[in-house]
Amino acid sequence: MDPARNRVLADLLGACARRDEAAFSRLYQSTSSKLFGVALRILRREDWAEEVLQDCYVNIWHHAASYEAGLSAPMTWMTSIVRNRCLDWLRRPNLEVALGRPDDDGEDPLENVPSEDPGPLEELARSADAKALGECLRRLDPKQRQAIVLAFYQGLSHSELASHMREPLGTVKTWVRRGLERLKGCLGTV
Amino acid sequence: MRYRGKPELQDKLAAEYVLGTLRGRARLRFQAWLREDAALRRTVAEWGERLVPMAAAVAEVRPPRRVWSAIRSRIGASAPAAVRPAAKPGLWDSLAFWRNWGLVATGCAAALVGAVALRPPQTVEVPVVQKIEVPSTAMQPSYIALLHATATDGQKLVFLAYAGRHSDELWVKNVALGSAPADRGFELWGLPATPGEAPRSLGVLPPSEKGTIKLAAAADESLRDFPALAISIEPAGGSKTGLPTGPVIAKGDCLKFW
Repeated sequence: MDPARNRVLADLLGACARRDEAAFSRLYQSTSSKLFGVALRILRREDWAEEVLQDCYVNIWHHAASYEAGLSAPMTWMTSIVRNRCLDWLRRPNLEVALGRPDDDGEDPLENVPSEDPGPLEELARSADAKALGECLRRLDPKQRQAIVLAFYQGLSHSELASHMREPLGTVKTWVRRGLERLKGCLGTV
Repeated sequence: MRYRGKPELQDKLAAEYVLGTLRGRARLRFQAWLREDAALRRTVAEWGERLVPMAAAVAEVRPPRRVWSAIRSRIGASAPAAVRPAAKPGLWDSLAFWRNWGLVATGCAAALVGAVALRPPQTVEVPVVQKIEVPSTAMQPSYIALLHATATDGQKLVFLAYAGRHSDELWVKNVALGSAPADRGFELWGLPATPGEAPRSLGVLPPSEKGTIKLAAAADESLRDFPALAISIEPAGGSKTGLPTGPVIAKGDCLKFW
C-alpha cells in the first residue's frame, strides 16, 4: 500500500480515536470492501461475514486509540483484526459452525489455487506493497506455496490442509513451517 | 513458560499464529502469552507485516448497506447526543475482544486492557434510555423466541421472549400459558442443536404475565447455542436436578433478528 494511503488511513484512525464519526464513516468506506472480501474468503458465508465485519468495525471504533502506527500499517492492523475474528468464529463450539461452513459448494479450493498457476501471486505482483511478498511466494516450492496460500486465504487449519491436499498431516505441517522460514529469509533480502 | 528463551520457537509460533494455522488450545495459549510479552507482540507484528499484505490479492466485495447501518446504531452514532443510547461497549466489545481476538497481534495489548478498563464512558450516560436500546428506526440485533403449546402440536402461540444481542436481560411474555399449578413454577430451557445434549436452564419464569429473566451472560453468549427453547413445569424455584423433570408444555424456535 502506498505511503500516502497509509497516512490517510492512519489519520482516520487517529480521528476515530477522538470520536470523529465522519472520519469513521470515511474509514469504513475506504476499507470495508477489502475487509468484507477477506472475511468472505475465510468464512464462505455472507451472513457470518457480515456479522464479523460489523463486530470488527464496532471494535475498531472503540479501540482506534490503541492503533500504533510504528508497529503496523493501518490496513495490516485492520485486516489482522478481521482475520483473527474469522478464525475465532470458526472455533466457536457451535454445531452450526461445525456443519454450516459451506464446503466450497462442491468446488475444490485447489481449483482456485492450483499449485502450478500462481493465481493470487499475479495479483500480488501488481500490488505495490505486496510485490516482494508475491515474488518470495513464487520462489517457494509449489507445495509449500500452496499450503501457505490455502491457509492464509481460506483459513484452513493444518488438518484441513492435509485433507484438502490429500497429504499426511506431518508433511503438510513441514511444508507450512519451511515455507514460512523461507519466506522470512527471502523477504529479508528482496 | 516453555517458549521463553526460545526465540526460534517464538518466531515459529508467531508466524503460524499470523498465518492462521495455530488453532485450538495452542492459539488460546499463545494469545495469553501475547498479553504478557511485549517482545512477542513485536514478533507477531513483524509477521503481520510480512504475511498480511497477501490480502492485497483478495477481491473486494462491497458489503450490504445494512452492515453499516448496524455498525452505526451499535456505536450510537447519528442520534442527537441527548437521547442516544450510551455507546457502552459490552463485555464482548471490550476486554473479551482483546483477549480472544489477538488484536494483540499488533501490539500493546497489556496497555490496552488497562486503557479499556480505565477509559471513561465515551458518551454521556442516559440511564433512562438504557434498558432497551431501541433506536428510532430499526430494531437492535436481538434474539426472539416464539413458543407454542406442545399440547396443540405447535398450533397455539403461548409465549414470547426477546433479548437484545448484547443484553443479559431476557424479556418474556406469558401469552397463554396460564398459571402454574400450586407449588409449581415454569422454567425456561435452552435446547442445544446437538441431539442428545442436555437442555440448559435459562431461568424460572416470573409469576407475572410480563417480566424479565436475568441471563447468565449476554444473549450472544447465553442464547447463541440454542436454536430452540422450551418451558417445563417444575417445583417452585426451578428444577432441583438442573434438568427438566416435569412435563414440557411449550416449545419453539429461538431466532436471531438481525
